[in-house]
Formats: sequence, structure tokens, C-alpha cells
Amino acid sequence: MPIVRVKPGVVRVEPRKLSVMERIYFPAIIGGMFVTLRHLLRNLFNLKRLPIISYPEVKRVYSERFRGRHILTTREDGTTRCVACYMCSTACPAECITIEAGEDERTREKFPVRYDIDLLRCVFCGYCVDACPEDAIYMTGDYEMAIDTRARAVVGLRDLVVPPNFPVEPMGWRPYYGSLEKKGTAGGTGIGQPLRPASYPDDAPPNPDVYRGT
Amino acid sequence: MSTLTRYSAIPYTGPAPTNREPYVPTDTQKMDARGAEIASRIGAEQETGQDLPTLVVRRERIVETLRALKNDLTFTMPLDLWAVDYPRRRQRFDVMYQLYSLQNNERVRLKVPVADGEPIPSSLPVYKGFDWFEREVWDLYGVRFDGHPNLRRILTHEAFQGHALRKDYDPAQRWLCTEKDVAALVPKVDPRFERVDTDFERVTLNLGPSHPATHGTLRIVVILDGEKIIGAEQEIGYLHRCFEKSCETHTYQQAIPFTDRLNYMSAIINNVGYCMTVEKLLGVEAPERAQHVRLILSEFMRIADHLVCIGTNLVDMGALTNFWYLFQPREEIYGLIEACCGARLLPSYLRIGGLAVDVPPNFLENAQRLVNMLPKYIDDVEKLVSRNKIFHDRVVGVAPISAEDAIDFGFTGPCLRACGIPFDVRKSNPYLGYETYDWDVPIAEGGDTYARYLVRMEEMRQSLRILQQAIDRGLPSGPVIIDNPYVALPPKEKVYNEMESLIYHFKLIMHGIQPPVGETYFQVEGGNGELGFYIVSDGTKNPYKVRCRPPCFAIYQAFGQMITGQTIPDAIAALGSLNIIAGELDR
Repeated sequence: MPIVRVKPGVVRVEPRKLSVMERIYFPAIIGGMFVTLRHLLRNLFNLKRLPIISYPEVKRVYSERFRGRHILTTREDGTTRCVACYMCSTACPAECITIEAGEDERTREKFPVRYDIDLLRCVFCGYCVDACPEDAIYMTGDYEMAIDTRARAVVGLRDLVVPPNFPVEPMGWRPYYGSLEKKGTAGGTGIGQPLRPASYPDDAPPNPDVYRGT
Repeated sequence: MSTLTRYSAIPYTGPAPTNREPYVPTDTQKMDARGAEIASRIGAEQETGQDLPTLVVRRERIVETLRALKNDLTFTMPLDLWAVDYPRRRQRFDVMYQLYSLQNNERVRLKVPVADGEPIPSSLPVYKGFDWFEREVWDLYGVRFDGHPNLRRILTHEAFQGHALRKDYDPAQRWLCTEKDVAALVPKVDPRFERVDTDFERVTLNLGPSHPATHGTLRIVVILDGEKIIGAEQEIGYLHRCFEKSCETHTYQQAIPFTDRLNYMSAIINNVGYCMTVEKLLGVEAPERAQHVRLILSEFMRIADHLVCIGTNLVDMGALTNFWYLFQPREEIYGLIEACCGARLLPSYLRIGGLAVDVPPNFLENAQRLVNMLPKYIDDVEKLVSRNKIFHDRVVGVAPISAEDAIDFGFTGPCLRACGIPFDVRKSNPYLGYETYDWDVPIAEGGDTYARYLVRMEEMRQSLRILQQAIDRGLPSGPVIIDNPYVALPPKEKVYNEMESLIYHFKLIMHGIQPPVGETYFQVEGGNGELGFYIVSDGTKNPYKVRCRPPCFAIYQAFGQMITGQTIPDAIAALGSLNIIAGELDR
């Protein structure tokens, strides 16, 4: 496209006048066909570099910062790191985290009796991870969260808590990326905590906040 | 170094929080002086201590004031009209007008205080562009505009009760809209075609809201005379998500994911606009490194925005190949964004005061790879369509708008530049250091669909120029977020190991950022034009009012006029070239 400088910092794009050859249409079409043909041949002889991902057989490689489904990490003794401080649910802009705190009989430590994330409300912004002072919530690279009922979208401790030696390396959004060694925090052990599944059984009425007529 | 010294508690020595003191803009003296000058010329009261020249106008005088500003002081462009509700005052609403003068590159803000139920004379005789803005204020605040020809609800539906942005409106209410509540939308026939007698029967045709060619939930009702459109009206609000109301119930930081969803094609630019507004209110500035990354990602997002716009526009005209050629580099751009922040479409990468995390170590190499790769795709598309007669027939002279009309409607961005007006916020009010880069504002003549295509194509090349310079300069070293625990979360290593930082961390999450009391406006150049944010702070953790100036809103209200006299296929081509993003239009 011809460019004309009008004044400093401003250029004018001149519309292209079609020549007679272009106006009879076929040469331009053939020129366009050449571009398409070039792409076709280049792709045909270079099938491996096709910009196509045959999902689900092949999956895109995401970075280690990917903000996917959450997990709750555990200490070495198997208890959840979460101390039910409500920071994540306070920071959550979508208000999708519901926590109920309990107290461990033996250690007098707080721990979550219920920790539900409504994945249909969640916007995957990562604010819960940023807000956590206990290194307890991470996001994973898992982005396949298809469900068939609304109730299944609410994941509880049963789904979120991972075993202590869960590999963190291919993980998603987390406070730091392998550079820092976590020093001890004032956390209890929380041994013997009861784990509760997601709040709703699958056939229970879904989120009561949703208006569905009178 | 022992662990103790490495993580020793270093108390923060910066300024203390100032949330109970009034906000003082940096250039308030200059603005006050200019405001006094304007006020004396117009004969209006002035409000001092603002970031823009601000006049307070009685409601009876608003039309004559606007007319004087437009005719005598060259404030020809209506930028924005919105309201703020102060329920404790007798005149509880401040209806705000913001105007822009292309000649003098200055802005002015007008405040019209009105009580509940008091009408304001409509400003439509002076500025056509305030049409939908007045409807929006009526819809969300219940301020009536006398003399407005079509004062209907715009963002909410017909069965909606009350006015949603009033402070005493309970946001938990739900209103069910059934078919019988909705009145049939019949557009007015354009006077030019009223008396034309043709052999055809008039047909009313409904386009959208779910139509593949509208690229979003836009609804257009047209009256056809044969194939010619003789009247059109647009209806919006199908994607209204209460952005402004939600901001009032969330903290400043929590609003960032909401801004992603405004113009979701260039989400980072929305983040930049919002964060910089709050930073302006706080009187802080992001570190150099963060600003540099913001600039690079903004330009990539602008290119992605234009790629989508041109690609989908060409698909509507039947040129599917271009769509594939243009979406491939867009995927790569999203890959770069994902590597930075873990999300592609809705990144939420920025934080107030900087960035969420530092960019990955190979950021610049990847950016360079993209900058090398992009021209090839742009050239391919140009080769395919720019000499193609079918394309020319479809776009040249289609849905034109004159420069005067475009200014009067409040057009900004590529659509205004396609009319030959070189207005770009990056040049007129540079931010992020745009003034230090060597680049040009592309304009084109004609204001038609072709001109908009030309401007967007050239703008991508200019963005690539900026990007190449930005990459050549390299990333400045240093932190990516400011070291002020009243604004930004302390680093995790400190939070885990230091009491002081842990307390700051808790305070900031629980009590949020508390900017000083005041109001401010800041604008950036979005993919579609001037994207402005106006924020009122009352010193608490929640914004008192967040106003987003959506560029699409002003552009789309002219659409009916633009397509009148054209045919349906032309209307589709024109709609694609305006790049209306419903997320930003409806907020």
C-alpha cells in the first residue's frame, strides 16, 4: 500500500487504484491462488510443522504458569497445608471458594473441614494462589474439566487435596517457580482431620442463588 | 549470608497510606488555570483541584454551555457522558460530560448536579454522540433527559425494575424478562427514503443477536425496501455483565479480572488502562521494567485485535483463507501471553503497581520471533485481497461516514483515523513512554470500510515498528512491581518467613488498596479507540464508582445511520470493519 507522509508523526495510506489487468479480475484471482498454492505446497511437504494440534490425541504444551484446576498441597505427614485463614476466599473476585474451618482436637490448629471451589464460577485469575500465605493452593496445568451436572462443578477437599509427594514440577500457577526453598511456618499438623466430599450429591439441587423463575 | 539476615524484617520506610487525605492530581495547577480561563469565557462556575479543567453547570444551562464550548472553544468531540450517585446529597446525581478538542488537544469535564426526578435538557441538538450515553444514564441512574427522542433502557431489559447503578439498588435482585415484556423494535424509516415510491414491499428484518455475522450478541433490526436498507436500529445489552456495579462491590485489585472481559480481544490494554488509572489515583508509578513489558504486550494485543477484526471481516465477505492466515499469528501472540501469565484470552497479568510476576527469561527472544514472523502473514493477506476486484467492490465506498459526523458521534481509534483525523491517544497524551518511540499514526481518506481496512493494516505495521524498537532497547533490569506494601503484595519469600511482611500481606488482602479520596480519569489507546477509566475513591477498599469509557459504544450508535441506504451484505461488511466487541459495548 502506498504511504504518504502528511506531517511529522502522521502518514496517510493511499487507496490502491486497480489497474486494467486487475480490473478484469482473473489475473488477481490467479495471483491470490498462487499465495494459497504456496501455502498448500509448503504445508504438504512439511506436514510436521503444520500449525494444527490434533486434540485430544495431541495436546498443546502450556507453560509452567498455566492457570488450570486448583490443588491443595499437603505437608510431608499428609495433612493439608491449608489453615482455613479465608485469605483465598477473600481475594477471590468471583466468590467461588467456600471454606468452613475446624479445629484439630490434639494440636488446637485450624484446618478446613470444608473447602469447596465452584469451578463454574471460578475465573481462573490465580488470585487465590497469590493470596495464600501458607503455600497451600496451587493451580495445575489441567484444563479438561468437562462435567455433566452443575453439582459436579463444585469440587471439595476430596478432589483438591493431593498426596504429599505430588510432583510440583509440571504444575501451573504457583507462588514461585522452583527458586525458593520454603522455610518453616507456624503450621500445626492437623492429624486426623476428617475429609468431606463436595458439598452437593450429584442429584441435589444446584446452586440456590441461581434464579430460575417463580 | 545466614538465613536470618537474608530474611530479616526490614520495615517499610516509604510513605504511609494516605487514604483519608484528599487526592491531589499532579498537574492540578495548570488544569485549574485553564479551567478558570474556560469558565470565564463560558460564564460557568469552576471546580478546582481536579485532573481536568472542570466546570459545574446548572442543568438549565447545560445545552447553551455545551454549544458555547463546541462553537467557541473547539470542543467538537463528545467523549463521554456518565453519572455518579451521592445519595446523601440533595442533588444526588452528578451527571458528567467530557469533551475533547482535537485542535487544542485538551479535555474538559462538566458536572451537572441534579436531584432525583429532575430532568436535564438533552444535549442531542449539540452532540449527536451523546444519544446512547444519555440513554445509559437514564437506564442505570434514572436521570431523565428532556427532549431525547428515544429515551429507552439500553443495557438492561424492559422488565427491569429500578435503576441499577444507584447506590441504594440491591444488586442481588433478579428480574425475569419474558417475551410479553419486550416491545417490538421497529426502526424509523429514514426521511430520505420515506417518500420514495418503489415496487417493493417493505420488509422488517431482524439480524441477530445470535447471528454468525454479528460476532457477538448484537441485534440490528432493519427495514428493507427491496434490497436497500431504509431504516435501521441497533439493540444492545445482551452481554451486560454489570461491570461497573461489580467494581463497586469488589476491591481495586479484584476488578482487574473484570476489565479483561471488556474488550476480550485486547485484554492487556484494558488491564493497562485500569491499573494506570488506579496508579494515578494512588500517585505511584509502576517500575520501568513493568512499564516496558506493558508496552510490548499492549502492542502485541493491538495487533491481535486488528488481526481478528480484519480476519473476521474478510470471512464475512467470503474470504475464508485470510481468516486462517491471520488467526495463526494470533495464536502465537496468545502463546507469548500465556508464557507470561498462564492464560491466553483473559490474562489478568497486570497488578496495580506493576505486573503479577516477572516475564519468563526467553520473553524477548519469543517476542522477536513473533515480530519477525508477523509481517509475512500480513503481507499474505494483503497479496490475497488488496488487488482483488471482488474485495474492492465489497468495501470501497461501503458504509462511509464523514469526518464531521465521526467526530460528532465521538468516534475514536481506527474508525476515526479512517476518516482522515490523526487522533491517537498514544500521540496526544502519551503514556508508557510512547513519545520516545519513532512511529506514525496512519490515516486514510473516505471513512468507508476500505479506509478502515487500510488503517488497521498499516497500524499493525506501525505497532511492529514500536515493538522492534522496544525489543532492541531490551528490558530494563529491576523489579516488576513497586515496593510499597500498601499497594502491592510483598514477595512470597518474605511472606512465608517474616512477620512484618505477613501482616502487610494480610492487611492488603483483607483491607485492600485504599487510595486517597478523589476522582480521576485516565485514557489509553485501546484496539478500538480511546479506552478511558474514571474512578471515584471514597478512601475505602472498594471503588465508589468505576466508569469505563468504551470506544465501541460511541462507534456502534452511528451504525444505523451508516448502513441506511446500503444493502444487507454491505451492512455485514461494515459491521465487521467497525470491530464491535460486545464485551466492551455492553460491559
